[in-house]
Amino acid sequence: MRNSLKRKSVSYAKYGYLFSLPFVLAYAIFMLYPTIYTLIIGFTDLKGVATNTWQFLDEPFKNFQKILTNKTFIGSIKTTCIIWIMNFIPQMLLALLLTAWFTRRKVTIKGQGAFKVIFYLPNIITAATVGILFSTFFGYPISPANAVLKMFGKESFYFLNDAWASRIIVAFIQFWQWFGYTAIVLISGVLGINPTLFESAEIDGATPSQVFWRVTLPCMRTILIYSLITSLIGGLNMFDIPKVFNNGAPANATMTSSLFIYTQAFTGTYQYNRAAAASMVMFLLIAVLSVFVFFLMRDQYDAKEKRQIRRMKRQARKGMTV
Amino acid sequence: MKKVLSLVLALLMVLSCASFASAEGEKGVINLYAFTDEVPKMLQHYIDTHPEFGYTLNTTIIATTDGLYQPALDQALTAGGADAPDIYCAEAAFILKYAQGDMASYAAAYDDLGIDTAAAIEAADIAQYTVDIGTRPADGKVVGLGYQATGGAFIYRRSIAMDVWGTDDPKEIAAKIGPGWDKFFEAAEELKAKGYGIVSGDGDIWHPIENSSEKGWIVDGELYIDPAREAFLDLSKKLKDNGYHNDTQDWTDAWYADMAGIGEKQIFGFYGPAWLINYTIGQNCGDTAGDWAICEPNIGFFWGGTWLLANKDTEKKEAVAELINWVTLDCTENGLQYGWANGNIYGDGGTKDCVGSGTVMAMSDGKLDFLGGQNMFDVFVPANQYANGKNLTQYDETINGIWRDAVRQYTAGTMTREEAIEFFKTDVEDKLGIEAAE
Amino acid sequence: MSKKRNKVKLEGTGFLGMFIKYAVCIILAILCIMPFYIMIVNATRDTYSIQQSAISLIPSNALMQNYAVFGEKAFDPLVGFKNSMIISTCSTALTVYFSTLTAYALVAYNWKLRNALFGFILGVMMIPGQVVSIGFYQFMYKLGMTNNLLALILPAIAAPGTVFFMRQYMLPSLSMDIVASARIDGAGEFRTFNTIVLPIMKPAMATQAIFAFVTSWNRLLEPMILLTRKENYTMPIMVSLLKGDIYKTEYGTVYLALTMSVIPLLAIYFMLSKYIIAGVALGGVKE
Repeated sequence: MRNSLKRKSVSYAKYGYLFSLPFVLAYAIFMLYPTIYTLIIGFTDLKGVATNTWQFLDEPFKNFQKILTNKTFIGSIKTTCIIWIMNFIPQMLLALLLTAWFTRRKVTIKGQGAFKVIFYLPNIITAATVGILFSTFFGYPISPANAVLKMFGKESFYFLNDAWASRIIVAFIQFWQWFGYTAIVLISGVLGINPTLFESAEIDGATPSQVFWRVTLPCMRTILIYSLITSLIGGLNMFDIPKVFNNGAPANATMTSSLFIYTQAFTGTYQYNRAAAASMVMFLLIAVLSVFVFFLMRDQYDAKEKRQIRRMKRQARKGMTV
Repeated sequence: MKKVLSLVLALLMVLSCASFASAEGEKGVINLYAFTDEVPKMLQHYIDTHPEFGYTLNTTIIATTDGLYQPALDQALTAGGADAPDIYCAEAAFILKYAQGDMASYAAAYDDLGIDTAAAIEAADIAQYTVDIGTRPADGKVVGLGYQATGGAFIYRRSIAMDVWGTDDPKEIAAKIGPGWDKFFEAAEELKAKGYGIVSGDGDIWHPIENSSEKGWIVDGELYIDPAREAFLDLSKKLKDNGYHNDTQDWTDAWYADMAGIGEKQIFGFYGPAWLINYTIGQNCGDTAGDWAICEPNIGFFWGGTWLLANKDTEKKEAVAELINWVTLDCTENGLQYGWANGNIYGDGGTKDCVGSGTVMAMSDGKLDFLGGQNMFDVFVPANQYANGKNLTQYDETINGIWRDAVRQYTAGTMTREEAIEFFKTDVEDKLGIEAAE
Repeated sequence: MSKKRNKVKLEGTGFLGMFIKYAVCIILAILCIMPFYIMIVNATRDTYSIQQSAISLIPSNALMQNYAVFGEKAFDPLVGFKNSMIISTCSTALTVYFSTLTAYALVAYNWKLRNALFGFILGVMMIPGQVVSIGFYQFMYKLGMTNNLLALILPAIAAPGTVFFMRQYMLPSLSMDIVASARIDGAGEFRTFNTIVLPIMKPAMATQAIFAFVTSWNRLLEPMILLTRKENYTMPIMVSLLKGDIYKTEYGTVYLALTMSVIPLLAIYFMLSKYIIAGVALGGVKE
């Protein structure tokens, strides 16, 4: 594909610049400038609410040193990872399962359009609302959840004051809000695959599960990478739900790194400089992880994908002439 | 695509109208920042009843509950310009920051607005602690004053008092629950024997403890745990272990439910100033209205209060001064505080409150049907002597949050006493950069 | 989407398998709908009975009573709805259109800085939003763009995440042969993009549009700090202000406000989702 482009590259190159110009400009103005500003703050003494002036520190990395020995910050990274994993694994498994069921060509589930619409519903609601709703559901000593416990003769339980209960609930909210999204993204990925691929597989006598594992899944490589990376990034930036649900409590059990950075920068003593340093640490961490995932997935499927694209293009051409 | 594009264009047109249209009064707009609708309502009332005033109000209300008010206010103040607040409100938990601390330089001295502050304070006999808190140390000038006095009382259910002790007389009940915490726990035991809880949750005893302590959280730039505040760990644990309360958290559903008497067990009382009766218990009490009374608490304290500050850069000094003067210093029957104390500001039969002006209090009547006809000023006026700003710090809102969390861990048994204190110190240092004194 | 095949054959799976599938789907559907149902029911109940039992499946009759409380609050659903609509619709249109355009630049043309830009996009996709916000607000204040809805709309032009998705989707589904044949027919590059590439990208655009819309609609922090004038408040700000009276929380009214803020969203969502599913089913190549 890329080879075929190279022939024409010289005459059309300017359109590449032209078409990406709006993006680049908007990004530079609305993101890059504020981002660089944030990075610089990491090396300065900027803290305190009414402070507008700042100087570079004599020891430039002092904020980074402080933040790397900050127990609460390190703990918040662990918490973030724990909550993300507890949410992502079941979310991905369920989304894949739904994708397999919903894209099976012969044995369709009736009303799957309606199911898809319903599964995506939780994602549409403002995170703040969902957080409040769930913290009400799990209130103590009176709440729907505790009413259920009482029905079974159990003592009422202080969910919001229990580290693991809180984490599980936060992870569940994330799962609940996002499994529909992931499923829709994966399904749309499958539906974007050239149908002739499936038809030829069926003619060859492949069973539905063979089609799913041998044709569907490999073709979804790009969409899977996308889902994994965005979920990872979203997970490591998790903010709204823990903030609204319990504001990081109990004892920082739901204090994610983003919430910690927010707490440090926007409340109390306004430690912009340390929060900026913490952000940069998170940035590095996220970058390393996603680059790792990106390369891992690419190497694994690179060869397969090239074959795939060639075949698809052949078939697409055939399909067009019919 | 054309359809989409035309839709976008249409919306952009609507948008351009929306961003330029704004209703202005004939003289201009006064920007107001507040954390409840209380001050906006009263200022709007002033504008409505004084047609010659000529300004309109542009109000921004952001709740303190999510910790969003301070950041938003700070942003607006530091940014300045036409949208900067002309008048802004601050609560006891963070007034120090705006009157004496990091943000004090943004406040206008009342004198500079054209108010003869010293004379007005004397005429109105304003509670000294509100003046102390609202005075900027840098130049010794008053930059903020309130309209309430927030000395606290113990607010209890008459029917429960009758059931347990055979009396609902405030003097006798005061002698049952206090003075001090030993008597309080004796009373708690007696209440428990009849199946009642003495308070709703640990938040209820926190406010009396917090505001009766000798020193605040920060001493000489370092974190300091006052012995009275450290004792909260043990008192709270005792309440929980003995089942003296419903183990609720303040400002949550279950807490409100206890005010209506529909919690797990009936709750005897709450600690609070007059505003807690008006705005919280009174509004959430369900069928229990009239069953309440107040008495002297086992420990003197104050809680909350709203201060009004003006932006030093306001271009509408006279108008701002007029409003602030009416709210905080006008001790006549036309002033806010008279209407506020007597509950007739928005017409008769409104809620009554303790106000900052002693002059106004002397000519007001605090009888409340809610309290079975008891005159609440009898208890609240003496209680105001406990109000002072000595143990406030500008980061109280944040530090209190961490402390309450740590104490809950201890009472729930997930941390030992030492671990809870250690967690508290670490967390304050990590989040605020304030190191613990050793 | 399954209309083409009306015959449902249970090939390869037994009755039990189908039963499990339906059971799982129905349970998930209930799980998804339940909280909203409770929210809507609670909107019709008074605060007192909500405090007594937070869950009820039977609507009560306090709807108007809850609605009357709005009069005392700074809650104006029409104004909030209008502002949220303006911001979300414009942001969504900008995000989807310009992201597709940028993705097209990345996929269809070979230019020197192409890989650099893509690498850059991959890199910046990961920057936590909260970090940038410090600098962003101060910048907006400097420009005097507070209380200007454009401050919340224009940044939507640059949505690295959407560009990434569009590129990933475009790579396998856009055949350069189609573009080449358009060129032979003498179409300009911009015209080719609008008339040929955009239709192919419809499924991806529909999906991304709804994601962008929802994200924008639900944003709370930025609008709350940028917009200080009541007439500019968005729906989430207004909803959050209902909770704002710390002395008392009118749960019934809060639920009603939440419901009112959600019902327009639901209406739009159900309308758009049909288009999405149809668009997704169409596929790119067969167009």
